Amino acid sequence: MALHIVTISDMKLSAAREDVVVTYSLGSCLGVTAHDPKAGVGGMVHCLLPHAGAAREKARANPFMFVNTGVAMMVRRLMDRGAEKRRLVFKAAGGANMRGDNLFNTGARNFEALGKLLERNSVTLSASDVGGTVPRTMFLHLDTGRVVVRSLGEEKDL
Amino acid sequence: MTRRQEILDTVSRVVAIPCCANKAAALLGDPEAELAELARIIEHDPGLTANLLKIVNASFFGGGKPMRTAGEAIRLLGTLQVLQFILSTGVAPSFVRRIGGYDLAPSMHLQHSVAVAMAARELGRVLGLDAPDYTFTAGLLAGVGKLLLGAYVQVDVKAILDLAMEQGLSFDRAEDAVLGINHAEVGGILLQSWGLPSEITEVVCHHLRPDEAPETDTVLDLVHIGNALAKMIGVGLGVDGLNYIPSATVIQRLGLTAGIVDRVCANVVDELRSVRHLFMECAEDACPV
Repeated sequence: MALHIVTISDMKLSAAREDVVVTYSLGSCLGVTAHDPKAGVGGMVHCLLPHAGAAREKARANPFMFVNTGVAMMVRRLMDRGAEKRRLVFKAAGGANMRGDNLFNTGARNFEALGKLLERNSVTLSASDVGGTVPRTMFLHLDTGRVVVRSLGEEKDL
Repeated sequence: MTRRQEILDTVSRVVAIPCCANKAAALLGDPEAELAELARIIEHDPGLTANLLKIVNASFFGGGKPMRTAGEAIRLLGTLQVLQFILSTGVAPSFVRRIGGYDLAPSMHLQHSVAVAMAARELGRVLGLDAPDYTFTAGLLAGVGKLLLGAYVQVDVKAILDLAMEQGLSFDRAEDAVLGINHAEVGGILLQSWGLPSEITEVVCHHLRPDEAPETDTVLDLVHIGNALAKMIGVGLGVDGLNYIPSATVIQRLGLTAGIVDRVCANVVDELRSVRHLFMECAEDACPV
């Protein structure tokens, strides 16, 4: 089994059934997984910010920093590896905010950006664990597409 | 003895902060090593920086001028022999390997501290403020109290966390309720007892609640928001997560917008990549902490 670690503003994918993809320490960032059960390929992206408009030159250098460009690029890469868009199962975790924060709201803005992107593409989000003030770790198991979120020592399936 | 007194008593006996001196020690043994590279390593390690500033601000070296950054201190000392002495005093034998209670591996606390320092400095730059160099030092040392509580005091963090969740308190308020003190105050008191300049110790002490500081201070404002941004970015989060309240007064005073905050976060993530090799040197297996 290989463990693929997704860092901040990063994406990893795999088509090996025994592999696991993980991202640690999601704060306001949003972790998004997409898995095609038939093709057996899946990926995870860890996006820092909602829109590439915040820093266009950075989006060109690294599209995975942003939800709107990062998720789209992940889907493109998965399709290159044999996935079909209509079969992809999307799940999301993270998007926390500082307590009482009504200005930065980065976590909520990240999740909203994902919602708009998926809606534009007529795709439904299968499951999510977002918001609050807690840190999260997200796992994608390639064998089944199972997504597990760990937070404060407790794990749950998404 | 109250829990607060017990903690303060322990703090008064702490002679050195855990640090990751492996790479620095290896460089010291290398005759070709550049002083600049050594300075870079020390500047990004809260334990090494605090221990170094403690030594240079002690009366033995004191030329009257307080030293506020690792760079200033290194320029004052100058020789590798003296630095070697500092590093050897910086690594006490009894350090635990993990910051158990706060659920932080050593490299995680290091990464978080560096992210706070970078975010504070970068925020000042983006806002066009002429913030002093020690903004970085103050950010780097802001969380040092957590390191101490985790390493030297058997803190039951679950009790703090449960209280925070049940009563909707920020983590530092819950620390106050359970321990009689919070980790920001602990860090400030320790660094003060070591003779670090008040510009730094005041920032460390008040960085979670700047509105309670005796006077406004740009460095304090930058470190307060820098700490929030590092948590939002998600570098080295512990069980306390994002459970701290950003000050509306500071946000207004600095004129922050979501756009500014996004730009700073993006720049910090890029900058963190450039020092990633330092974190690798402090992986759990190699680290004495």
